[in-house]
Amino acid sequence: MKATSKSLIALSTTALALPGIAGADAPPTVKTLSYKISSYKEDELSRKEAPLGDLDRYDIDVHQFQLVSPLGRNMSLRVDANYESLSGASPWFTSAGLDGNPIVNLSGASGIHDRRSELAIGGSYYLLNGSISGNVGYSEENDYRAIYGGFNGERHFNNELTTLALGFSYSSDEIFPTDATLFNRVSDESKHSSSVFFSISQVINQFSSFQSALSITEQSGFLSDPYKLRDSRPDDKTQFALSNSYRRFLVEADASLHINYRYYHDDFGISSHTADLSWHQNLGRRFRAIPSIRYYSQSSADFFTNIDDFLKPLTEYQSSDYRLSAFGAISGGISFVADMGNWKATLTAERYLANEDYSVHSVNQSSTALVKYTRLSLGIDFTF
Amino acid sequence: MKPITVFILGILIILSVSACTEVRAWERGYLAQPEMAWKPDPLESALNDHIFFSKEASSGGNSAAGGGCGCN
Amino acid sequence: MDPSLKRYTFKAMGSYCEIQVYSDSRIEAKQLIQRLAGEVTRLEKKYSRFEPQSFLSDINASHGNKLGIKVDSETQALFNHALSCYEQSEGLFDITAGILHYIWDFQRGIVPTQGQIDEVLPHIGYHKLVAKKSRLFLPKNMQIDLGGIVKEYAADATAKLGRDLGITHGLINLGGDFAAIGPQPDEKPWTIGVANPKEDASLMAKIDITRGGLASSGDYERFFEHEGKRYSHILNPKTGWPSSGLRAVSVASPLCAISGSFATIAMLKDEEDGKKFLEESNLSHVYMDSSEEIGGVGLKV
Repeated sequence: MKATSKSLIALSTTALALPGIAGADAPPTVKTLSYKISSYKEDELSRKEAPLGDLDRYDIDVHQFQLVSPLGRNMSLRVDANYESLSGASPWFTSAGLDGNPIVNLSGASGIHDRRSELAIGGSYYLLNGSISGNVGYSEENDYRAIYGGFNGERHFNNELTTLALGFSYSSDEIFPTDATLFNRVSDESKHSSSVFFSISQVINQFSSFQSALSITEQSGFLSDPYKLRDSRPDDKTQFALSNSYRRFLVEADASLHINYRYYHDDFGISSHTADLSWHQNLGRRFRAIPSIRYYSQSSADFFTNIDDFLKPLTEYQSSDYRLSAFGAISGGISFVADMGNWKATLTAERYLANEDYSVHSVNQSSTALVKYTRLSLGIDFTF
Repeated sequence: MKPITVFILGILIILSVSACTEVRAWERGYLAQPEMAWKPDPLESALNDHIFFSKEASSGGNSAAGGGCGCN
Repeated sequence: MDPSLKRYTFKAMGSYCEIQVYSDSRIEAKQLIQRLAGEVTRLEKKYSRFEPQSFLSDINASHGNKLGIKVDSETQALFNHALSCYEQSEGLFDITAGILHYIWDFQRGIVPTQGQIDEVLPHIGYHKLVAKKSRLFLPKNMQIDLGGIVKEYAADATAKLGRDLGITHGLINLGGDFAAIGPQPDEKPWTIGVANPKEDASLMAKIDITRGGLASSGDYERFFEHEGKRYSHILNPKTGWPSSGLRAVSVASPLCAISGSFATIAMLKDEEDGKKFLEESNLSHVYMDSSEEIGGVGLKV
């Protein structure tokens, strides 16, 4: 092959940086309105796991709206609105059953009915070699309120082959459990989270790119579960997450492969591995099928117990929250995308199974009440 | 391995692969395909992050955290 | 139903323009085309040298202003590309050469005196521009002409907007600067005829494009004869006189803006240098030289 002319390199580089032409990280030129409706259903518990009371877990309907619009030539606006309605029951306390194995006691027969509404608004300003963005959001439930905000910056280097991003975010959350006096729950608590992340993305060759990102989150305040009879956790938590992502386009197959791996560690003593893989297969110009699989494994928190110990002093940390136990989860899904030009439809089905036997971490005390769920989503994007 | 060690290792891998390739601006057609984005479907990513955040202990990774919810 | 072809012609940037789009719905096609034509008009209003309200006129009016003028990121990117053209042509493609148009009047066929030329030459040279962050400082008596850059960029930007709006098959033609939104249905390329500068209504070549752009530069568009000598509208900023190399050049590349830069630089160079420059680019191209020979690679005749 003949060497590419120096002039072609120089002229292409500056031409491709022109804002009306630039592909990645350029301000949007059109408005996109997206809506996604999802139905999330957890499998009911078996009688063995919960001998008494209701076996239903959560059923959640999620509605997501998003508008992305150009704002002048160098800016863009993003508005997100989410609405969730939830019904079901959540684990209240665990105890030993007649055979000595732990059993779950779900919250009362009345169950839980809750709604979550969230509104977030963000803007980006695009510069010659990058962009800066900011966002604020508000989320509200019967018993929970969060106000959050963040900003981040992105800069391209090395002929746009390398991109560095840095971001900060802060969230102030308030918890005010329902029926607080009736059940002797806390009545009004708060927590604060600050988070910082840094990422580096690199184009490897014509077909593949790689991204590595590190995030550190510091939480302080009330981190326990107010609805559990006995749940007492430290009031400080530091979380590290390191993720690596790889994308590769396969020309012959007209498909792209996505691989992501994340390592997580926090000072509750939990470490986890998450790996997921998806295959984006183009089927002609208009259709795409995306099968994906995900594997997750976590170790337990230092103070996890599968049977609540009501004799322990309240000052000692303990929690029977299954999310703090050692477990693994395998999930798989498939999406179909129909891209008809100015509108696009996406149909997704996903199945998630958590089980202590799937964990690569050692399981000293296995939790009951691990979740299995099915999710169906339909998304519509409209460009105008 | 400590997270920071893994991170530094990741950067070293990036630098070593990037040192030997130069992808010209006009050769980035495949990389510019919509399905090659880090998050090809932002609403799908947001939903998954939200579900896993409320069902697993881990969160964070390639973006800063958003607001919390009573689900966790 | 098979999508049908909808065409729309209009006048912009001093040329005949045409947008062709395949669409299932005629009403939708009409709305889409209006959006696309709107992008061309936007760039024309912003960068026209002849429009007193244009941003380019504001830039030109700022010559000699010690405070300079604040330019947006789109204009910065255009100047960056112009700098790249200036460097790659060793100073021949120079957006500060616009002042020569004040003394060369191609409409009326007036040839300036050498004295007039010598007077303006000191006010030409991209390297004399000073840019600090988003401010541009245009030295006294200097003028900017983005001809050879903006029309080509507009074709690319309009094609990109078409793709963003979900159009898969379409072609933008802004006075001979072409950018494909996408190929014709069934991946069929667009065949673009390149006019023969010597004979009206005959073609010197046909170039197929499916994606990317095609731009042409030649002295058949605008030239005049004065005292038996042919003057092309392509002026050499170093001498102040029309260039005397190739007579016409068309280049196909991934972008109309890249094609336009190559075609213009090839025209400004000496004939042999111009041919060599095109050959080294590895891009499909066709040219006619001063002896009316047609040459090039990657095209049908």
